[in-house]
Amino acid sequence: MQKFKMIIRIVVFVLLGSLLHYVLPGQDVGRITGTDTIRQDFGRFNRIFFAQADSGSAEAANRDVLFIDAVRRPTYLFGLIRGSEVNDVMIYRNEDTGFIWPPYFKFDTRDLQGEAKQLVSTAEAPKWVVITHYGWRNRFLTIFPNAISIREIDSPDYRPIPWVNIAFFIFLMVALMFVRAAWAQFRERSVDPLMDAAGDQLDEVQAGVAEQRGRLRRWLDTWRSKK
Amino acid sequence: MQFIKLVVFGAIALTIIYFSISLYSKSVRRERLEDQFDEDPPEGAGPEDRDAFVAKGMTEYENSIRPKLIGLVFVVPVIAISVIIYIVN
Repeated sequence: MQKFKMIIRIVVFVLLGSLLHYVLPGQDVGRITGTDTIRQDFGRFNRIFFAQADSGSAEAANRDVLFIDAVRRPTYLFGLIRGSEVNDVMIYRNEDTGFIWPPYFKFDTRDLQGEAKQLVSTAEAPKWVVITHYGWRNRFLTIFPNAISIREIDSPDYRPIPWVNIAFFIFLMVALMFVRAAWAQFRERSVDPLMDAAGDQLDEVQAGVAEQRGRLRRWLDTWRSKK
Repeated sequence: MQFIKLVVFGAIALTIIYFSISLYSKSVRRERLEDQFDEDPPEGAGPEDRDAFVAKGMTEYENSIRPKLIGLVFVVPVIAISVIIYIVN
């Protein structure tokens, strides 16, 4: 039972962790090498990793998706360790997230593509940018991170600080602490008194049963031979 | 369509959060009043006096600004979403 609980806990932790890793924004330092528009015929696996059509348009089975090609500085361990060279090719999709999920409220896909086009540069005359994005790149499933915004920086040594993630985790801690406190209060004030009352009642019933049995026993004893 | 969905489900979620917080806040306040009374009960005070003391404290709480501040639960997310929309687009 203990082991089972442990496994459940680990599975839940990993699933929630992956969800956050997918949804929370990341910032890549690199340079844009080109932009693309490619028709996507979504499969069963990669459909959920793409957003919906631009927020004003109708949803069809397949559609053109905008892409931004870039080379970025590779990062490891959630961005704590960074590679020294800018040599990691990364392709971003560029889609509206709309109003629902994930809650980036991005509607300016076309404008972002225009910005990206303007910032295309070569290795000889690089224009460095920070690309804010969420999502994963996976070659087997053909899924891409979604670019949220692009801003210019001076050099690839610039180190972005993940303010949004910091704020989010502080909020998450506060929310969890509130839920804990509220649950403790609820138990102390509402559940425990009820349980106490139920326990008292159970005691009374048991005492009553014991008394009944005592009477039965005494009556039976009257049939025994007297010594 | 999406916008309507967001508003409806957001309102439902925020209402649930609002009631949880206000119940919690009331419960904490009531407990504090009870403890306050038990710490230093007046001479010859019975359970009715205790109830009256708590009820008076609770009415004071209801009329103060604190329970109204919980209404910010509805305001803050709307502001947050507006700011995100402004920054992202």
